[in-house]
Amino acid sequence: MKRRSFLKGTLATGAAAVAVNAGLLTPSTVLAEWNKAAFSAKSTDDALNGVFGSSATAASGDIKLKAPAIAENGAVTPVTVDATAMSGVESIAILASKNPIPLVCTYAFAGSAIGYASTRIKMGETMNVIAVVKAGGKLFKAEQEVKVTIGGCGG
Amino acid sequence: MAIKIRMRGKSKGGVAEVKALIKHPMESGVRMNKKTGKPFPAKFIDTVTVTVNGAAAVDSQWSGAVSANPYMAIKVNANSGDEVKLSLTDNTGAAGEASLKLK
Repeated sequence: MKRRSFLKGTLATGAAAVAVNAGLLTPSTVLAEWNKAAFSAKSTDDALNGVFGSSATAASGDIKLKAPAIAENGAVTPVTVDATAMSGVESIAILASKNPIPLVCTYAFAGSAIGYASTRIKMGETMNVIAVVKAGGKLFKAEQEVKVTIGGCGG
Repeated sequence: MAIKIRMRGKSKGGVAEVKALIKHPMESGVRMNKKTGKPFPAKFIDTVTVTVNGAAAVDSQWSGAVSANPYMAIKVNANSGDEVKLSLTDNTGAAGEASLKLK
């Protein structure tokens, strides 16, 4: 893969991480127009507090988190959260621990919906994907490390 | 401009998996434009709602960290013939809508 085209093709992730590290940008100012506190939080705990009002989670084996062990292209990382084994699932949040803004997406379920969500997310570097499921008023979490091989080959 | 959405859904034993592919740049607002030294302006889908036969089912919020041209899949308790509707808006106010009858 040609380095130039790879850099162009990589959305947000790499450039974003560099920009934040260098102090050029702060995510909160960039996303100021969007007033969701949770989506501008810079740590996973702050993000969880913003979404659920608490960051106390218990690990659960009932959450099936499907993500690749090695993602060749961090800009398109497929993630599936399957909490259909749990009862009373109210919502699911997907976070990427080292992204400038860890919270990626949230799903709130009502009526006929089942606790299942699948999406594709951007990741700037090797980090953990965290799925937090709220079921019966409690928070449960599943975590998996995804290796992002920047540069295309090997890892 | 309306956001383009492709949707598929099939019910099996009362549970339907609904998949959608959305055409959208999902620009997070932190990626830098190297030529100007300024970030590309943010343009990403921030809310997605799914209804089944008119009743709310999934209410989803996204950040700019969802991949470009997003794919999403959810599951609902629904039978074939039920109508599933997906509507979304991005942070600039653009909106899209799609619906289908489950197979």
